[in-house]
Amino acid sequence: MSQNDNSQDDLMRLLLAVAREDREAFQQLYHSVSSRMFGMCLKLAGQRDLAEEALQEAFIQIWHRSREYHMDRGMPLGWMMSIARYRTLDMMRSRKVRHNSGEEHLEHIADGREGPLDESLRSAGEAQLTGCLDELSDVQRDSILLSYYKGLTHDELAQVLNSPLGTVKSWIRRGLTALKRCLEP
Amino acid sequence: MKKTTERIEMLAAEYVLGSLEGHARRRFERWMVDSAKVREEVWFWEQKLGQLSAKVPEVSPPSSVWSAIERRLWRHESPVGSAQSRANHRWFWPSWSVVATAAALVMAVVLIQPSPETSQTELSGAIVQADTSDPLWLVSEAGQSNLLKLRSVAASAAGTGKDYELWIVPENGQPLSLGVIPVGGVHEVTLTKQARAALSQSRTLAISLEPLGGSTTGEPSGPILHVAQLYEL
Repeated sequence: MSQNDNSQDDLMRLLLAVAREDREAFQQLYHSVSSRMFGMCLKLAGQRDLAEEALQEAFIQIWHRSREYHMDRGMPLGWMMSIARYRTLDMMRSRKVRHNSGEEHLEHIADGREGPLDESLRSAGEAQLTGCLDELSDVQRDSILLSYYKGLTHDELAQVLNSPLGTVKSWIRRGLTALKRCLEP
Repeated sequence: MKKTTERIEMLAAEYVLGSLEGHARRRFERWMVDSAKVREEVWFWEQKLGQLSAKVPEVSPPSSVWSAIERRLWRHESPVGSAQSRANHRWFWPSWSVVATAAALVMAVVLIQPSPETSQTELSGAIVQADTSDPLWLVSEAGQSNLLKLRSVAASAAGTGKDYELWIVPENGQPLSLGVIPVGGVHEVTLTKQARAALSQSRTLAISLEPLGGSTTGEPSGPILHVAQLYEL
């Protein structure tokens, strides 16, 4: 993970400068984090043009809201990534981006091998959250990771996982409750 | 819906995850505005679930994204009157008198005075509100650099998810955005020749209430809050 203290310090310094409307710092900030943010937006949206637009919107917000940042909101990178994620989700929802029509992951479901979540993301997810995802059942964990990485709604999850809506909702809720118990100090 | 601890925890988690959508999502955002406890719960999940983003492969965005960001934030400084901004001509600025009626609670005075150093007149003045003793914003222009400075004095925050946007209202045609103006501190806007000319002619500034980051349409999309008619000394 490149989120070491030094780079977070650099980002903090840049963010403070951006709060003073320093445009050069803003450009540096963009170059430091845009690839990470774009990777995440693209994974989430599954569409290049939408991901590009979401990244643009996210940075417009970062410029205007840099003064609102404080440590309680987490590290600077996490704060910026959250902004980018929310912008991407809002755009996906407002444009009704669907994940469940004719996409390759449905075939994985049909042959029952890999599931709709690619293996690299599943293992990435497992390595994080201090092992707490292990405490979840497979379906709980996959529902949460699919929501997180792909932005699937409850309805889309129900289709992709071929399960009733109520069941999917309870997987997510129970999964999150278990996660919270595990993560809390 | 009652804000029990259990409900806050679950909704915050689902909000950050993204599975909370539509009306429920918007309602929860209002909860966040109202309650520090709700915000803290959201921040908890943002930091925890945010770890999941760490291993998503990086992808370089095309350079057009940065250009678009620059254009949107500082478009008044980019080459004048792009074809695109002229193309989206669906909004018509009402006549000054109509706007003045709509903003009747606000009295705005901006003065134009000749600069001793330069032959050009300099703008200065204040955007004031009838029931507030201090001006909301002080406006001044720094000589030949065409730098317009706005110092906010008594202006109050635009509200969550909102920004103030400053416009030049030209005599004819589209208002020209001077960008979003912050509350607190000094905001500087460099006027293009075109913007300076339009302002000298119409002597009218306006401030509208816009979504965060400003109007996305290139035209005022929210209510016009203040209109400042300039007077020459």
